[in-house]
Amino acid sequence: MFKRRLQALGYLEWKKVNINDPQHFRKVVLWLEDQKIRQYDIQDRKDLRNIKSEYWPKAFAKYCKDVQCPVFDNDVDQLEWLIGCAIWLEADNDIKQYSQNIKEMKLKMKQEASVPRLKSKNPLDNLDFENNKFQEGVYCVAKLLRIPRHSNHLVTLKACSKLVQRRFNSECLRNPNSKIVRGKPFPIMNCDPGFQLKKTAVENAAKILALLYIQDIRNLQTKINEVIVRVQNITANPKTDTKLGKVGK
Amino acid sequence: MVVRQYQEEIKYLEKITQTCWKIKKGFQPNMKVEGVFYVNNSLERLMFDELKNACRPGAVGGFLPGMKQIANVAALPGIVWRSVGLPDVHSGYGFAIGNMAAFDMNDQKSIVSPGGVGFDINCGVRLLRTNLFEEDVLPVKEQLAQSMFDHIPVGVGYIWAEDKEHCEEYGRMLNADSSKVSMRAKKRGLPQLGTLGAGNHYAEIQVVDEIYDKWAACKMGIEEKGQICVMIHSGSRGFGHQVATDALVQMEKAMKRDNIETNDRQLACAHIKSQEGQDYLKSMAAAANFAWVNRSSMTFLSRQAFAKQFQQSPDDLDMHVIYDVSHNIAKIEEHMVEGKQKTLLVHRKGSTRAFPPHHPLIPVDYQLTGQPVLIGGTMGTCSYVLTGTEQAMKETFGSTCHGAGRALSRAKSRRNLDYTDVLEKLERQGISIRVASPKLVMEEAPESYKNVTDVVNTCHAAGISRKCIKLRPIAVIKG
Repeated sequence: MFKRRLQALGYLEWKKVNINDPQHFRKVVLWLEDQKIRQYDIQDRKDLRNIKSEYWPKAFAKYCKDVQCPVFDNDVDQLEWLIGCAIWLEADNDIKQYSQNIKEMKLKMKQEASVPRLKSKNPLDNLDFENNKFQEGVYCVAKLLRIPRHSNHLVTLKACSKLVQRRFNSECLRNPNSKIVRGKPFPIMNCDPGFQLKKTAVENAAKILALLYIQDIRNLQTKINEVIVRVQNITANPKTDTKLGKVGK
Repeated sequence: MVVRQYQEEIKYLEKITQTCWKIKKGFQPNMKVEGVFYVNNSLERLMFDELKNACRPGAVGGFLPGMKQIANVAALPGIVWRSVGLPDVHSGYGFAIGNMAAFDMNDQKSIVSPGGVGFDINCGVRLLRTNLFEEDVLPVKEQLAQSMFDHIPVGVGYIWAEDKEHCEEYGRMLNADSSKVSMRAKKRGLPQLGTLGAGNHYAEIQVVDEIYDKWAACKMGIEEKGQICVMIHSGSRGFGHQVATDALVQMEKAMKRDNIETNDRQLACAHIKSQEGQDYLKSMAAAANFAWVNRSSMTFLSRQAFAKQFQQSPDDLDMHVIYDVSHNIAKIEEHMVEGKQKTLLVHRKGSTRAFPPHHPLIPVDYQLTGQPVLIGGTMGTCSYVLTGTEQAMKETFGSTCHGAGRALSRAKSRRNLDYTDVLEKLERQGISIRVASPKLVMEEAPESYKNVTDVVNTCHAAGISRKCIKLRPIAVIKG
């Protein structure tokens, strides 16, 4: 009885406790008051401390009254209430720490529930990406693809991946001309960019950023157009075959 | 209008740069800001002659001279910084055509005026390119002109997804509210959807005659001289006209109620925040959308005509929309005014937006070149493509000219010119023409207009836009 709760509270002799032994019982009560409940000032705990005294039950009854224990008559029930009270006080002291833990636990449970655990069969998942050999490998691939080296090998890897996805996909390999952007290069470096920066190097960098931004927006716009065309294939009425320059069916 | 001698009047005018004159406060009563107008020497003479004529004793009737109209606009409540006259400025209803003005959205007194937009709401120009050259088209020019003329425009929705990208506002104004448009406007508009309309509207087959800015032209898909383009100049037809008429009636009442005073009764207006102001902006947006659908319908028709003639799909003919400009519109824009960012309601009447490179509101394809500005010439004369500049942002709220600009009134043109002469002259120039109402042709004859090249050169010299491409017509289709 009470063993787990006493263990949780940190009562050293929790294993040996036998509350049917009055001495054990009195020791536990005193320990709870000394360590956890602290209802009295130290000097006022004298009567409780005198666990061998015949007046101890009287002191205990007074103590129960003073801590406003709602249970009467039954020693064991009274002790149970005192242990509960101690646990409550203990938890209240560390309420922040506990609530944080509970949140994390709940979150973890949720994640575990939503993401089914799979044992990875992909050898890449178990790679050590910081390993020297791996880094060397990345720079080796980059050299082959003529991609400049970035101090962070993972950035270099990302660049390699982009290039491979865009230029070495199966469609590109079948028809290399389809994906190579043609057209006349725009002399961006000789054009007025609409902003002026003090250092040429910074200005050139800004121009390059502007170009990259324009490319991003262009790709987005193209995707939007593709969506519109798909939707129009469903919604357009009457159907039009613009290739034939004809209206209607 | 204050009655003064011409010599007295010109004391209020001061030349501030080679291409720009200032109209000082006092030229008209209650001017809240100054006016400016852009001219070169020959356009300057036209402007001053007009003022001189108006100062003659006993001169009555007709519109006020352009300079006076610019000054009256400068007297409107809430106007910011300056009232701007572009080189093609000429008298119009209330606002001169070629006059732009901006009003502070955060000023309770600011107004919106239908006269500052015009009756043909979102009248504009669209330019399509092709990969054909003059020698491909010349042998079949007549058939092609006839084919374009014959095609009865059909419904809507036959546009390419990427067309809208090269339109201002992506080809639609989101604040449009059809419930604010009268039944009368809808009834007038419906049967006219997809039609050119009379007046100065036209569709032209044009040839690239000159390339001034190789790189900008390249971005527009114009590679060489001789390349064929199609220009469509049209607006919102009866729909827009009725929307403007309805709004003017409402606004006259609002002016009395809110004690708004203007120098000219034609400058009817309402506070932007008032019910009438908001209703107008919503119905104007609906009319603007009508105009875009209208130009889109004619884009479709032109693609059809070309596809039929050359037995190739419009796609194979590379018939992309280069750009679509609106030159009669009011829009809410952000501008820097005397070092501060302000939200303004910009009225452009006979004036084209000309935003510089990197402006967020211009299409991604033109981020490096600046916004294309399409300047339609008059029947039989050249047209131009310009690009927007930073200078325009600084001087004219990102605006430039829109076309040639009338020099003679319609009535005067009819009196002075004979339509058969006009048609013969076009024929001698090798320009095919198809006209629905030939007797009105002299109203639109080049002689009735300012020289478009003067207008464009002035804008280029002033730096408020840059010359990019010159186009000359080989076939004209008119309403």
